[in-house]
Amino acid sequence: MSKDKLDIPDYNTLFSEHRFVEQRLNKQQFEAPCSEQETAEALAYSKSAEYMEKNFSRKAVVINPHKACQPLGSIMAALGFEKTLPFVHGSQGCNSYFRSHLSRHFKEPTPAVSSSMTEDAAVFGGMNNLIDGLENSVALYKPEMVAVCTTCMAEVIGDDLSAFIGNARQKGVIAEDFPVAFCNTPSFVGSHITGYDSMLKGILSYLYERSGVEAAPGRGEETGEKLNVMLGFEPYTGNFAEIRKILDAFDTKYTLLGDHSGNYDSPATGEYEYYYGGTKLEDVPLAAKALGTLSLQKYTLRKTQEYISGTWKQQISALSAPLGITGTDKLLEAISELTGLPVPASLTEERGRVVDALTDSHPYIHGKRVALVGDPDLLIGLIGFCLETGMEPVHIVCSNGDVDFDGVKFKEEAEALLSASPYGSEAAVYVGNDLWHMRSLLLNDPVDLAIGSSHLKFAAKDAGVPLIRVGFPIFDRHHMHRHPIIGYQGALNLIGLIVNTVLDELDRNNSGFNYDLVR
Amino acid sequence: MDPVRKEEFDSGACGSLAPKTKACPRPKPGEAAGGCSFDGAQITLLPIMDAAHLVHGPIACAGNSWESRGALSSGPSLSQYGFATDLNDSDIIFGGEKKLKESIDYIAGRFAPPAIFVYSTCVTALIGEDMDAVCKEAADRLGIPVVPVNSPGFVGSKNLGNRLAGDALLQYVIGTGEPEPEMQPGVNLIGEYNIAGEMWDIEKLMNSAGIAVTSRITGDARYKEIAWAHRARVNMVVCSRALLGLAREMESRYGIPYFEGSFYGAKETTYSLRQMAYLMNDRDMERRVDRLTEREENRLAQDLRPYRKLLKGKKAVLYTGGVKSWSVISALKELGVQVVGVGTNKSTEDDVRRIADRVGDDTEYIPEGGASRILKTVKERKADIMIAGGRNMYVAMKEQIPFIDINQERHKAYAGYEGLLRLAKELTYSLANPVWKLAASPAPWDREAPPYDR
Ligand code: SF4
Repeated sequence: MSKDKLDIPDYNTLFSEHRFVEQRLNKQQFEAPCSEQETAEALAYSKSAEYMEKNFSRKAVVINPHKACQPLGSIMAALGFEKTLPFVHGSQGCNSYFRSHLSRHFKEPTPAVSSSMTEDAAVFGGMNNLIDGLENSVALYKPEMVAVCTTCMAEVIGDDLSAFIGNARQKGVIAEDFPVAFCNTPSFVGSHITGYDSMLKGILSYLYERSGVEAAPGRGEETGEKLNVMLGFEPYTGNFAEIRKILDAFDTKYTLLGDHSGNYDSPATGEYEYYYGGTKLEDVPLAAKALGTLSLQKYTLRKTQEYISGTWKQQISALSAPLGITGTDKLLEAISELTGLPVPASLTEERGRVVDALTDSHPYIHGKRVALVGDPDLLIGLIGFCLETGMEPVHIVCSNGDVDFDGVKFKEEAEALLSASPYGSEAAVYVGNDLWHMRSLLLNDPVDLAIGSSHLKFAAKDAGVPLIRVGFPIFDRHHMHRHPIIGYQGALNLIGLIVNTVLDELDRNNSGFNYDLVR
Repeated sequence: MDPVRKEEFDSGACGSLAPKTKACPRPKPGEAAGGCSFDGAQITLLPIMDAAHLVHGPIACAGNSWESRGALSSGPSLSQYGFATDLNDSDIIFGGEKKLKESIDYIAGRFAPPAIFVYSTCVTALIGEDMDAVCKEAADRLGIPVVPVNSPGFVGSKNLGNRLAGDALLQYVIGTGEPEPEMQPGVNLIGEYNIAGEMWDIEKLMNSAGIAVTSRITGDARYKEIAWAHRARVNMVVCSRALLGLAREMESRYGIPYFEGSFYGAKETTYSLRQMAYLMNDRDMERRVDRLTEREENRLAQDLRPYRKLLKGKKAVLYTGGVKSWSVISALKELGVQVVGVGTNKSTEDDVRRIADRVGDDTEYIPEGGASRILKTVKERKADIMIAGGRNMYVAMKEQIPFIDINQERHKAYAGYEGLLRLAKELTYSLANPVWKLAASPAPWDREAPPYDR
């Protein structure tokens, strides 16, 4: 519009106007708020060691959780497969939360349906809802597979998915051979990552077992497939592109088991379809003949890894998120070992360039104290990255870190990693804690930077620490998920995020003596 | 105090006492349906900003929903904290009442809130937790109100949850406090949640006309003001039929007259302000309101002129819950925008009647959700813009349809005269953004190709 004479004050500025300030003060009289002094005292108290101790001895209540529940992860896993409709068996509310949660992160629609259980289902069981739901959703959304997971409600009343789905077939509601994979995902155990794992395993085992294909480890050459790759609960669509780039550079063939990047990064063509991309269903049985499997989230994918090594008898390389130079080195070595191919020169060169970038930035990040929040595999990667760049992880909070891989608990691995470096000497790892604990840590023992999801922004603000958004969910920034954080390119992206935040802070807090043009 | 009567409850979830053919629609299995009753109850009560809101259940209900509402606060922020009992499997087997009690104690001790709301969820309702008893015991012991909100997700839709939250307020809160003696009697605003600060715009208007707000139920509210809501002279039910039951009950208990109104569009705004003054039975106030509304409407007409020119004849598809569907239609009509399709998914018969009063005969009613259904209407009716809630936003983007978010996550306030101006501005911006042209034109090397046949 050329002539825009409209001037509507935004409440951010509006409320600093005199009349509103006055109005607010008047309002406070009947609110009976604390005096400013009391507020200051309370804030000081929340910074005290005494309160921190109280906070950490809190057992019953969770304040500001940093985990989502199992079915949310299941939906993500289901969307990693071609034309697959995620189906949540339970009451409808959960499903609507999951859909908006995922959509707010990726800024893309999330197709997922629910069996909408109500009181009658609570009393008589949810079989009719499941059967009706299958019939309706297959008719409405025309999927090629449905992937059913449960909510806590269905679990508490003890619904039997396998039997119900069987009954649906008997009733002719769905065709005999129409694939319906399923898994149990009560939200009172585990978190979004265990839900992801259960559904992935559910889909792989279901499609494999009904195919009649015999597992034949290492016969990848014959089938034209060489390697299986799993990214796990992956909030970055950019990471899929990055891993493809790396595998293509190796010139190896591969199958991504669970690839939701298509669904969460589809082009604007002017027409919405429910399903974009995803692992082809017929590729799953063939994956049982692959050379081996590369897993990039070893804590997340425990059950799936177990299934693949147990049933498909495959060699597995299980890593945590390959972040930073060392993390990516490990990834390339693992690919090389599984495929027998040498690391391509182009990647070695890229490595060199990114190392160069890290050296450029190191003066600004060396010794920066950071707080970290995230899922276990992400945290292992982030800790490694901090240590190799001279940043000092101080507080590490993992709400869902109560997991182990090969008998080693997340916490043990994190601590071993930290104690092997002089930069990790101050670190403490907290498992099962929430963001209110993190707030105590930030206020009590300040750091320079916080790294974590959008949920951390409140604690970071209270403590006056800049937040670098990494992980899931990121609701309040755009496009972060399109930029990879794994691989050498990911290391470059991360260092860019971090060092530029440090430089922004430097300029913002500058008194003028050091307001330099060149940094 | 008496809870809402059983018959009333059964008469339908949407607040109407009279039995009717179409109750709140039941969720249909196998569809991508909306939120649950728990969600609805939370939406209604979370804007009580200084209270603590504790979710009793596994992490699902709280973990996926805390701090994602657009209800703004002018002060306290305790309501934004995500409190949850995070029940695990052993709690499910042995019961979570002890954990609940300890959680309440911790919150009371640490945060000293004026009140704690405790929400049941599917799981706690199923395993038969006696939440009422735990809350009552805690309230007696701690000396603060601890309000149980019995609205587990499986009982039904979001609307029903709104209503159950209203019941909790009636049963435990309203009538338990007294206003400051110097406060002048005024109006309760029921069902206005201060999304994007709309409450503040409304309050500003009311203040200019000398109408006091007694209680905000519940946008930017403080617990205390809800406790003294029974001292108001008038209840206005703003865009929320689900809370009509609350207003009715207050009328029969305390003799407070109520009316339904909306602040979307100048006409509705003027009507609402007039209605308040009329029910207050104050001639002076009525005159003040007349002067104010006349002045504001004139100014608005001036300011809107350039936008009207641009918006005239544009077509919109509106997909939003309940009452908003009809009140937003009025607003759009004032801007010259024609509504060619409207969602009636969550509307009651009354709502549908009001929609019918406001739209032309050839407007399509969209009874059921699902992105494809809405898109079909947009295409068939050649709509220029889609106005709906956040969950449909990204579908619209995929289809390259200009979009405005009208539901609870919106970041713009559309209420009152200024709000209509804002809506006009948003509509023009959304329609005129060059990105649509970009999106609609193929890459240069593809341009010669024959048109893509859909
Ligand atoms: S449907 Fe039940 S379990 Fe799901 S979010 Fe709603 S209350 Fe919680």
